[in-house]
Parts: sequence; C-alpha cells; structure tokens
Amino acid sequence: MTHGPDPARRNLDARVLAWMREPSWKPDAARFEALALELFAFQWERCPPYRRFCEGRGVRPATLSNWQEIPAVPTGAFKELELRSFPAQRSAHVFRTSGTSTSARGALHLDTLELYEASLLPSFARFVLPDLAPGERAPILVLAPSPNEAPDSSLSHMFGVVLRELGAPESGFFLREGVLLSDELLAALARAGEHGGCVALCGTTFAFVFLLDELARRGRSLALPPGTRIMETGGFKGRSRELGRDALYAEIGQRLGVPAARIVNQYGMTELGSQFYDSVLRLPGEPRRKLGPPWARVKLVEPVNGGPAPENELGAIAIVDLANTGSVLALQTADLGRRIGDGFDVLGREPGAEARGCSIAADELLGQAGT
Amino acid sequence: MTPEEVTDRLAELREAGVELRRRPASDTLASLAQVLELWRDPGSPWRRRLETELPGVTGFSPENVHEGLARGLAPFSGDALLALARSELGDPARLDTAGGSMLSGFDVTAVVLAGAIPQPSLLALLAPLVLRSPVLAKPASRDPVTPGLVAASIAAVDAGLGRCIAIAPFGSHDEACLSALLDASCIAATGSDASIAALAGRVRPPRRFIPSGHRLSVAALGPGALAGAALEAAAEGIALDVALWDQQGCLSPLAVYVVGRSDTAPDRLAECLARALADLERRLPRGKPDAAAGAAFLYECDSAELRAAAGGRVTLLGGAAQHFAVVREADAAPRPAPLQRFVRVHPVADARELRAALRPLAPHLAGVALAGFGAEAAALARGLADLGASRLCRPGELQAPPLAWPHDNRPVLLPYARFTDRETRE
Repeated sequence: MTHGPDPARRNLDARVLAWMREPSWKPDAARFEALALELFAFQWERCPPYRRFCEGRGVRPATLSNWQEIPAVPTGAFKELELRSFPAQRSAHVFRTSGTSTSARGALHLDTLELYEASLLPSFARFVLPDLAPGERAPILVLAPSPNEAPDSSLSHMFGVVLRELGAPESGFFLREGVLLSDELLAALARAGEHGGCVALCGTTFAFVFLLDELARRGRSLALPPGTRIMETGGFKGRSRELGRDALYAEIGQRLGVPAARIVNQYGMTELGSQFYDSVLRLPGEPRRKLGPPWARVKLVEPVNGGPAPENELGAIAIVDLANTGSVLALQTADLGRRIGDGFDVLGREPGAEARGCSIAADELLGQAGT
Repeated sequence: MTPEEVTDRLAELREAGVELRRRPASDTLASLAQVLELWRDPGSPWRRRLETELPGVTGFSPENVHEGLARGLAPFSGDALLALARSELGDPARLDTAGGSMLSGFDVTAVVLAGAIPQPSLLALLAPLVLRSPVLAKPASRDPVTPGLVAASIAAVDAGLGRCIAIAPFGSHDEACLSALLDASCIAATGSDASIAALAGRVRPPRRFIPSGHRLSVAALGPGALAGAALEAAAEGIALDVALWDQQGCLSPLAVYVVGRSDTAPDRLAECLARALADLERRLPRGKPDAAAGAAFLYECDSAELRAAAGGRVTLLGGAAQHFAVVREADAAPRPAPLQRFVRVHPVADARELRAALRPLAPHLAGVALAGFGAEAAALARGLADLGASRLCRPGELQAPPLAWPHDNRPVLLPYARFTDRETRE
C-alpha cells in the first residue's frame, strides 16, 4: 500500500510502525511525546478544519508543550466531516461507525490500513491471547459479521486480520446477516475444545446476548474448557436486551462456564486505530482495568470545565493515538472514565439511570425520533 | 422498606380510603385546595423547607429553586383546582351520589415519581386524592424530599386526608418492593420512556396504568419577533424558560426555530439569547451538572466548535466556562440536546418547514413557545396541535403551566376516574 508522495507522512508512519513492530512494549513517555507533537504539527498543516479548530483555541504547534495539550476532536464529528490529513483522491478505505437506521454514520477515511493492522495485532495478542506461544495459532470463533459481509466495519476488519494472522483452521465467523449461526457455533466450540489450550470466543456484546438467549431457549448450559476466553465489545446498540456488565458476565458464567476473570472487554471505536483491553488475562489477580499499547494514551477531562480531571475523579475520556496518522490523532469520546493505576475504567450510564427531570436528552431523543 | 411493608402500607391506605369516601367529595376537594394554597405561599413552612432542602439533594442552585417554585406554583391555586375539578369531573357530587352518571376513584393508587422538579410531583400526588383514591408514592431517587413534605402538608390541613397518603422509599432496583407496589389497582408513573416501557410490562391487568414519559419543548419565532424590542423580549423569555430548572423539565425549550428568509435573523437571536443567558447565570446560577451531563455538554460544545471551524454556518456562543451554550445551526436538522442550558437556534424558511422540522420530535413534543407570527399564529397553532404539542404559549411562560395543562395530551384528573352509569327504569 502506498502512502502517497508526502515525505513527512512517510517518515511519521515509518517511525510509528517501527514502534508497533517492536517485540516489547516499553513505556516511553519521551518517544510518545515527540511523535505526538510532530504528528500534531503534521495534521495541523494537512487538515484545515482541524487547524481552524485548534486556532480557535489559540493552539498552534509552536504553542504546545506536551501531548496532553493537543486539542481533541469529538468522535461524533466524523459523522459530519471528512477529517483527513491526506488528499481526498488518495482515500483507499472507509470504515463507518455502526450507527442505526435512525442516525448518521461516522466515516473514517484511510489512505492505508498498514498502521491500523500493525496496531491491532500485538494488542489483541497481548491482551486476549497472552498465553499463546510465538508462532502458535488458536481457534478464534467470532460472533460478528465477516469482513466480506461488512467491508466498512472496522471491527469486522479487525477480526479478519486477527483470524488471518493468529487463527487456527477451526476459526470462523458465526454471525451472518444479523443472525447467530447457533448450530455451527456450538459444533465449532465442541471441536475447538477437543484440542485443549486456547480458544477465543470474540464478538459484539449484543451477539453474546443472542447466544445466551439461544442457549436459554434450548435449556442448555455449556462448560467450555478452561483455556477458553471471551472478548466482547461494542455494547448493545439496541439490538438485544440490555444488561449491566456484571449481570452479563454472570450469565456468561452460568451458560458458557467462562468465569469473569476470563472475559475481556475491548474498548475501541471506528475512529481510533488502536484499541484498549481489560487487563484480566494479561495480569490475572490485579484490578481489572483497560490497558492499551504505548503508542496510544488516554487523558481524562474534567467534565464541567474541560481541564484535566483530578486524580480519582470521573473524567471524559480523550485518546491520543499515534496510529491515526491519516486522520486526527486526538479524539474526545462521549464516555466517562476513571483512572485505575496505569490504566482506566470506562463507566457508561447504567441502563435505566434516572434523569433529573422530565426532559429527554441527547441521543436518546434522536434514536427515538427516527431522524 | 421491605416488600411486606409495602403490602401493609397498601392495605392501610385501602382502609383509610374507605373512611375518606364516607365524607363528601367536596370536603376532600376543599382540603386539597387549601394544601395548594400552602404550597403557593412562599412563607409556608412546607415551601420554605422545600426551598432549603431541594438544592442540596438535586444540585440545582438555591436561586433557581426559589425562582422555579415561585413561577411554577403561582398558577397552582386552590381556585384553579376547584375549577379544574368542575371542568373535568363536573359536579363533585358525582363522587358521592348513587344514581345517574357516577364517578369513583380506585381503592388505592401507586404513584411512581421521577426527576427532581417538584411541581409535577405535587400534582401527581394530589390528582388521585381528588378522586378520593389513597396514594402510595415511591419518591424519585433524585428528589427524596418533595413527596414527604407534600404528605406532611396534607396531614397538617386535614388529618383524615393525611392518612390517605404514604411514602414508600425503596431503591430503583428493588424488584420485590416494586412488585408489591404494583399490586395497587391504579399505577401512575413518570420516568424515561425506557422506564415506563419496563413498568408497563409489569402491570398486570386489569390494573389501570397512567404513564407519563419524557417530553421536550421548543420555541418558534416569526418575523414579528425578530427585530428590535420584540427580539430582545423574546430572547429574554426563551432564556428564562431555558434557565429555570437548568433545562431538566420538559417545558424547557431545547431549540429555537427562527422562521423566515432572513439569513441574519438567527444570528441576531443567538446573540440576544446568549446575552440573556449570561445575565441569568448571574441571577439564577446553573447548578453543578453530574459528570455524565457535564461531559455531554462539553462534547456538544466541542462538536459545534469543530463544525464552525470546518466552515459550516455554525456559531457557538457561550461554552463550558460560561455555563450555557447557544449554537446557531446552519439548518433545521435535529441534533443531540445535552440540556444544562444548551440551546440550538435553527433557521426555517416558513411554517411548513417548521412543521417538517418538528415532525421527528412530535412523539415527544410538549410545549411550543411562539411569538411574532401575527395573522399566521392561528393556523400555526392548529398545525402544532395536530403534531401533538400539548401547550402553546408566549416565550417566558413555558415554565409556569396552568394546573389544567393537559400534560401528555390528556386531562389531569379524569385518567384517575372510574365511571359508572346507573340506568334506572320507572
């Protein structure tokens, strides 16, 4: 895949890729800082809307002293703007947010998938398959559409790459056109379990609810082998019944026989080149927290005044991701989080959380209004 | 509270209701009218306690609570209640007589409250009592104060009536207590659409279920309100409607539609509105939003800023530090409403475009503040009524609805009534 004629971009990509391909993940604050500030300067030049956004805040490359000062773009902006740091004619791939029929879908335009793939693989291997020996492959059963069915889904693409690079022959996709292929999945789980060792059952959160409901309907509970681990991501998106994470993990424990200590939640989004994972498989016995690669860092923003969130306080999650060389490296999410040691936790609103009044807010309205 | 206690309370209320129904309905009505007068009186102990205690539990500023109660309770007079009863029920004696068209309430009504704004809670607690149906109320987690004070104020006015209201404080996730509460023969519930849907699925026939889901309001200004003193007045009125209760109530406008072909009128209104909101921040400071609400506000400010930077016809006035935001939008497309004094100004060319813009919101539409439409006002009002708006008024009046406002497009008292016709043949 060519990166185009921009030598500054080629140089940045090469240095970020080199970091991603290193076998060890040494935290290197100085390296991150230098690359982040350089990448910011590059994107400030190449992405006019982002430059004007920064200028509106009085931020220019020369005024920045550290990566935490890089202005973060709200992820929702990708629904309305093409935030690219390369010419439109070089656009080679578009990932779209899942959205629904009632809301606009965000679009991430990419001129190369190289950084995206180079970032996702070591993270997945480290946090979902930490016990996999080098060169070894594992059965990876995916409850999500295949990349062929959903070519604009970054999650499907991620699973496609993971299966290609790390999957054993029994691996496959078991959600097709929104329908869980239950019989095929149960047969594949049985086959995968016969080998012993690692088995990864991965997919969207709502697809796991489909599976739990199907098992309940059949009156079945499985006892998946001890090497089984689950990776779920993406929330419910109105596709299934909704339940809190503790309740979901309890049901998974009952129906699949996989304890919470072997269930990993992935925190990722279409607009990001890198992903964060629960630490439970990588660091068993330690507090569950989200960890990511050293080329992506999180800052928590005090939700009322926009400054840095005080230690131990809730903050809006902003991410600076060096894998986003082609778009914008600093993203402001709509999620709340709390710092836990070297990682963080994502705190969504519990289903049914009560509002202060009778007005209807935000995305709830748009979701229902059919706009 | 345990489920057994909820069941016991329902039984006690049923017994108290038998006693209550031995008294003329006009007695009950007169006592409830007195209760409302107590709540209208800023010097009454109940009102003073509410003003003192509500800011601490809800996060609203004391100034906002004071002003919101003063304006919101002003129309809630005893006379207004008597007039409402006459208007909806006819002669209150229909609750006492044994012939013709008779009315009665349920033996007990469970009231599930939500939110932190007291006036809707006050009315929800009083309405079943007008029909002489005792009330067991589950307070909102956001406002544990109002129901107890209302119950105490009723008991102070009329001890017998006071025995017909009780409070059932239990947690939102206490399924066993909720099941016990839903044994009441009538259940009135306020809450989010999701909460209402969940409750509706649990109410067993033949119980009556009276739901009040979330609603929203908007404002629309015509050419007559877009210049000079009329513009200033409209902006000040809308700002007050936005600021009271920090936009948490369903009668706070989330958006203003500027109707007309002028490209600059939306900018002028946005600027006036921002000035008025800045002024109100000094007089009626915004409360501290919780983390989720604050993050949503910040996120939408950032989004508007970025869209403006991208060259859209978008302007952000105010922001997180100012505790309000006015976003002049390029079009009428609905966008997220983070509340907390965040209002969007949308241009629309004419009344037809206005109705089209509001159509996606119609299922949740409550109030529309209107000004400046002149001779077109009547036709516009008809169109908005057909869309589902339940209240049309001038800017600045949204937060003070009359007692008889048909919230949810339905009467206030009649949903709590049972009807009996006695057909007599001589």
